[in-house]
Amino acid sequence: MQYLSIRKEEWDKAVEQLLLSYTIFAAINNEFGIDYEIISPINIGKISYNTPKPATPLKSLFLPVKENVTSDPSLKKQRIIIGSPNCDIQGLKILDEIYLDKDFNDTFYREKRENTILISFDCFGKQEHCHCSAYNIRPWATEGADLSVILIDNLIVLRIITPKGTDFISQFSLVQALNDENIISAIDKGHTATESLLHESNKGLPDYQATGRIVREADKEIWKKYSASCVSCGACTTICPTCTCFLLIDKPGFEKVKQLDACQYPGFERVAGGEDLLYELPIRFRNRYMCKYVWKPQKFNSLACTGCGRCIEACIGKINKNELFMELAT
Amino acid sequence: MTDVKNIYKPLKAKLTEVIDESPLIKTFVLVPEEKFSFGTGQFIELSVDGIGEAPFTPSSSPHISDKLEVTVMRTGYVTEIMHNLKPGAFMGIRGPFGRGYPVERFFGKEVIILGGGCGLAPIRSLLYALEHIKDKLEKVILCYGSKTPADCVYKPLFTRLNKIEKFEAYRTVDRPDEGWDGSVGVVTTLLNKIRINLENSVAVVCGPPIMMKFGTIRLLEMGYKDEQIYLSMEKNMSCGLGKCGHCMMGEFFVCKDGPVFTYNEIKDTPDIWK
Repeated sequence: MQYLSIRKEEWDKAVEQLLLSYTIFAAINNEFGIDYEIISPINIGKISYNTPKPATPLKSLFLPVKENVTSDPSLKKQRIIIGSPNCDIQGLKILDEIYLDKDFNDTFYREKRENTILISFDCFGKQEHCHCSAYNIRPWATEGADLSVILIDNLIVLRIITPKGTDFISQFSLVQALNDENIISAIDKGHTATESLLHESNKGLPDYQATGRIVREADKEIWKKYSASCVSCGACTTICPTCTCFLLIDKPGFEKVKQLDACQYPGFERVAGGEDLLYELPIRFRNRYMCKYVWKPQKFNSLACTGCGRCIEACIGKINKNELFMELAT
Repeated sequence: MTDVKNIYKPLKAKLTEVIDESPLIKTFVLVPEEKFSFGTGQFIELSVDGIGEAPFTPSSSPHISDKLEVTVMRTGYVTEIMHNLKPGAFMGIRGPFGRGYPVERFFGKEVIILGGGCGLAPIRSLLYALEHIKDKLEKVILCYGSKTPADCVYKPLFTRLNKIEKFEAYRTVDRPDEGWDGSVGVVTTLLNKIRINLENSVAVVCGPPIMMKFGTIRLLEMGYKDEQIYLSMEKNMSCGLGKCGHCMMGEFFVCKDGPVFTYNEIKDTPDIWK
């Protein structure tokens, strides 16, 4: 693997310079934890490197909760996003399949996708519910992002992934090839240690390939059991990096506002006559699992769950999908 | 960025006429601001400005692009407001969406159409399309059922169809009134009255879910193969683009993969008749 490096102070100065021509979002360490924020000269020093993970998924920067989709999709400035873990980077793939569909491409999504430099970070360490490795995703990106970044010993180390990443980094005059074997070795050890942590804490989880069969064959009692504390708040779908369902809301002047929706909300599939296939809570609850592990894999090539664990963290009913899968797998 | 059509933006259309079809059903005649083409069986999202939109399959001929007819049953929030619209109002059209009827696959065949209630709206468009290619078809038979004679839409259509060479049209009602002297019973009873060369036939079913279910069961009993039966499915189609998720039916997005499916394609999908 080829690495480049630049001293952290120089990197921060370069990022500040980039603010003149780009809108920059980055994972920021704030009093509530880590989340994406717009970068200004004041918070460049608070950018979080290599600690999983931003509270909101990367999708929120491509599919806002609300967006007027009859307006002009053009962005005022190109964008840079710094600090997306690989679970989120992999989550973008199914969004690309859905929103860049050759028959119906979404100009709003495409405009953001084409005008964004995506800088991932390698995860060193894990959060309690991280389980990307169960779905064959490594905690660092080797594709999907333009670059990946690592902060080590006051040095920013960059791994270029795409030609777009190469072009981008050519703006940094102080970037050099990294030849320090000790640092490279420390990065490798960090990768290995993180993977070991993930494997160790997710030993009982079924492999992604098996999840479709497990969900399809699950007895209805399991859906009743795990949905018992579900309050249909939709937090799991809203926070999911791959859930993209939305509602079109009409505004005067034949304008349309696209608003994030959730199959967990009552009435999601209700038709005008009143029929509602997802009326009962256990059926509605099961729908999300069927969508992610059975139907989406039949329809798309990309993963519909990337093991980020946010749905577990966000659930106010304390529903843990990993516990559900471990129960189903035994 | 390159100039690409915004898939969410409606085309404005002027409402020029409102036709009362039955106590609950009206047909809206619309003139779009630009020519609007669709394939028979495809659907559109029709919107009331600032209120909402709902999916409908146009009931007019797919060979007319400067005028569009949409037949709407008053059954929910948006359709209630639509029914109060007067000629001169502007509506919004998005689409056309999805897979319509593959009429080229009907060449050389007998086409048996089973319709119920408001399901005659897409069927009327299909009948116009089939009339256009009648030289390439063996026969077209329409069997249509409504709850009462008053609920039957497009009443003059039946007289007209029976005058067209190769076309036959039959009606039945569940509950006759005093003036009714036609068939009484569910629509599948009409299938006993017609002559079909089953081997060289396709069947099209469109109507309320319960009618589609029992219509399909009857056709299968008669010996139709799964792939000979075409169903026009209805779900909560919203975006029309296979993105918003509201019309997911198992692995399918009804809006994009349908709304017309062969029974063979969806027979293993749960809850198709709900």
